[in-house]
Amino acid sequence: MPVADRPIARVLGIETSCDETAASVVEGGTTIVSSVVSSQIDLHARYGGVVPELAGRAHVELLTPVLADALEQASSDHSGRGIDGIAVTHGPGLIGSLLVGVAEAKALSMAWGVPLVGVNHLEAHLFASLLEQPDLGWPLVVLLVSGGHTLLIEVTAPGEYRIMGGTIDDAAGEAFDKVARFIGLGYPGGPAIDRISAEGDPAAYAFPRSLPGDGYDFSFSGLKTSVVNRVRKEPDASTADVAASFQEAVVDVLVTRARAAAGAVGARAICLAGGVAANSLLRARIEAACAEDSIGAFLPSRALCTDNAAMVAAAGYWRLTRGDRSGLDLGADPNLRLVSTV
Amino acid sequence: MRVLALETATDLVGAALLRDGAVSERSHLGGRAHAELLAPAVEEVCALSGTTLAEVDALAVDVGPGLFTGLRVGVATAKALGQALDLGVLGVSSLDVLAAGAYEAAPADRSARVVAVIDARRGEVFAAAYDAGADGGGPDGPDPADVRTDRPAALAPEELAAWCDELAAGGPVLVVGDGAVRYVEQLAPRPGLDLGLAETVAAPSPAVLVRLAARRLAAGAPLQAATDIVPDYRRPADAKINWEERAPQRTAPPPPGDGR
Repeated sequence: MPVADRPIARVLGIETSCDETAASVVEGGTTIVSSVVSSQIDLHARYGGVVPELAGRAHVELLTPVLADALEQASSDHSGRGIDGIAVTHGPGLIGSLLVGVAEAKALSMAWGVPLVGVNHLEAHLFASLLEQPDLGWPLVVLLVSGGHTLLIEVTAPGEYRIMGGTIDDAAGEAFDKVARFIGLGYPGGPAIDRISAEGDPAAYAFPRSLPGDGYDFSFSGLKTSVVNRVRKEPDASTADVAASFQEAVVDVLVTRARAAAGAVGARAICLAGGVAANSLLRARIEAACAEDSIGAFLPSRALCTDNAAMVAAAGYWRLTRGDRSGLDLGADPNLRLVSTV
Repeated sequence: MRVLALETATDLVGAALLRDGAVSERSHLGGRAHAELLAPAVEEVCALSGTTLAEVDALAVDVGPGLFTGLRVGVATAKALGQALDLGVLGVSSLDVLAAGAYEAAPADRSARVVAVIDARRGEVFAAAYDAGADGGGPDGPDPADVRTDRPAALAPEELAAWCDELAAGGPVLVVGDGAVRYVEQLAPRPGLDLGLAETVAAPSPAVLVRLAARRLAAGAPLQAATDIVPDYRRPADAKINWEERAPQRTAPPPPGDGR
């Protein structure tokens, strides 16, 4: 099909990389016209984590109604009226989930005759901040923390990325989920620990703070083991105290590393991204640290921290307006890396 | 009537477009590149037949059984095309497409009795038997759905062989499909089983799928809304099986999922 070569204003974003089926229309890269997110949390809760095959099946069932809602709320319809381009997350993530969104996006691109671009999920998280703070200054250090990722990224301009450090074992969100499951708080662990920690003493237990190497890497598996051992030795320990002390240790490490990274590159701000960026202690501590260091702190709203398609549309808008296009042979890459493309 | 069909149930990936009785087809033996190959195949069959997507009247998709990821790519593509073009979708069984392929490939005297076998992996198959009867279902052969005996649960190769033996007691049986190819050593030596077409009709073909779909639509088969089309997995998701099997003695929280 010939691809219409009209100016890009409204972009449809599609996100199915993990357990959220999402579609969104964003105008001009920064104005959210519609954003629909259908979470599968209830589906996976009894297993204590995301079951890939269940996630893939749920995406297939949810994609049609989620897209219909996103289009309707944007005063468009099935014909894609007013949509100038399509952006879809094509990695990293669960392969069986990613492929559902990629297949849908390619079909829509063919049917509507509009251009398509594949977007890196991590890059999309970076663009979540731009949706609320279009005038971000550079360079930035982004702390991207979620169930699948823990990364410190230097961003010198949109599209110019340098990974400064990452986790050498569990992702931060994964540690939250595993500890929450162990102390009986259920899934997802992040919000549960955040909530109960408000009633606990963060100094009740001195859990270890691991800062591996001289750079900006993270490690959370020792902390997790330490929590498990403590609870086994002390089965009557207050759940709120354990949760608060664990959360304190995770946040301590994240803030220490992020602050050092920002100092090293002379960042004008630290920006949070990813599901763990919704954690209230992390938000408060990053804000305080940035104030102390006299740099900016960008904390996207909670809805934009967790997986959503508005951030995919925002990243896609930027790529499409630069002339980036994906062919109909676009596939999914579960291990897609974040690399500079400028 | 212009029908566009999508085939992704096995390692063979492709599309076919039927227009004025002529079929344009593009297919690939894709391994696991279903998503990469399907959309270009759709674009190519449109170009080959000089048809735009806007001119298509109905969609057909193989809903399985077959490869889970392949089925999801085909069904997600069909749903999105159906939604965007405001078209209904006809879901067709992969086993029926195999049987229709056997009826097309074999002369009537060989094809009265067909067993279609899809490789279900993990040492099992999905199978259905088709018996067209003495007249072979008329000049066009039967619609496989009208003469089908289904075995909805996955079968071990020995169970498949025993079932084929039973069927062969009533006359020769033509066995087709990638499941027949995989277990040819168990099946071929058995009296009454004809595996001569197993390789030729190893995978459901987009061209056979589009002809079968058009035939059903002409006979009044109802189209489904894009929302309602789902793959026929025939197996629950893995974690679900494990969890439910363990449920009675469950005392601790479940183990970590496969993670993100």
